[in-house]
Amino acid sequence: MDVVNQLQRQFIDYSASLHREGFLDDQFTQLQKRQDDNSPDFVVEVASLFFEDCEKLINNMARALEQQQGVDFKQVDASVHQLKGSSSSIGAMRVKDVCIAFRSFCEAQNREGCLRCLQQVTHEYSLLKNKLQTLFRLQQQILAAGGSIPVVE
Amino acid sequence: MAPTLPSSDQASDQDNWDNGRLARKRQLLIEIVLRNRLTALVVDGDTTCRVLEQLLLRSYGVQTQGVDNGRDAVALIASGVKFDLIIIDMILPVLNGLEATRQIRDMGVHCKMLGVTICSGESERQVFLAAGVDVFIEKPLDPEHLVPILRELDGQ
Repeated sequence: MDVVNQLQRQFIDYSASLHREGFLDDQFTQLQKRQDDNSPDFVVEVASLFFEDCEKLINNMARALEQQQGVDFKQVDASVHQLKGSSSSIGAMRVKDVCIAFRSFCEAQNREGCLRCLQQVTHEYSLLKNKLQTLFRLQQQILAAGGSIPVVE
Repeated sequence: MAPTLPSSDQASDQDNWDNGRLARKRQLLIEIVLRNRLTALVVDGDTTCRVLEQLLLRSYGVQTQGVDNGRDAVALIASGVKFDLIIIDMILPVLNGLEATRQIRDMGVHCKMLGVTICSGESERQVFLAAGVDVFIEKPLDPEHLVPILRELDGQ
C-alpha cells in the first residue's frame, strides 16, 4: 500500500508540474478522464499517434525550408497549421504556442524566423515526448503495483 | 507558490478522493444519456484530431466513421450513407472542407454539420458558415460545445 501511495503521489506531483510548466493543458486532462476499463491504454496510443504526426510534419517543414531555389511558404504553413490543430486537440500547449508564432513567420515569408521556430518546435516536441514517456511509465508502475491512476485536476 | 501535499498518508488519500469526487461531479455536467442511436462522420486530414474527435463522439455512444479527405467524404455521402452529424475541418487534402461542404449541401443533405477547425478568424467563420456548416467551432472539439448539439439531435 505504501508503494502505491508513494507512486500515486509522484504521479500527481509530476502531472501537476507538467500543467504548471505549460506542457499540457486542460484538454489533456479531459482525455485522461475519458480513459476507462474499456480503453485503458488509449491516452498512450493517442500520444503515440500524435508523436508520429509531429515527426512527419516537422520533417515536411524542414524539407520545405531547405529549398535553396525558393521556399514554398504555403507548404510550410500547411504543415504548421496541421501541427497546431493536433497539438491543441491533445493539449500540447507549448507546441501549439510555437505553431502560432511559426504561422506569423510563414505569412511574412521570413525564412530565418521560420527556421528558428522549426528549432523551437522540434525542441518542444522532444521535451514533451520525454515528459509523457515518464508520466506513462509512472502510470504503468502504479498499475503493476495494484493501484489505480489518480484523477488530477 | 506551488501547493504542497499534506505529509500524512491519510490526508493525501482524502485529497485524491476529493479530487476524484469533484472531477466526477464536473463530468456529470457534460454527461448525457442518448435515447437514440446517433451516427456521425468525422472528416479531418490529421490522424490525431480525427481519432480524438471520433473517440469523443464514441464516448457519448455515437457511432462514427472517419475519412481523411474531402473527396472521400463527398463520395461517401453521394453513395447514400446517412449521418445525423458531420464534423468537418476547413483545410483538407484532395478536396478542401469548404468545397466539400458545398457539394454535400448541394446534394440536398440537411443533416447537422459542424465546422471544426484551427482557423479562428471572423472571416474564416463567415466563409465556413456560408459554405453550409451550421456551427463553427474552433479546435479542439470539446464536450461543452458538443453535448448541447447531441441533446438537440437526440430530441431531448
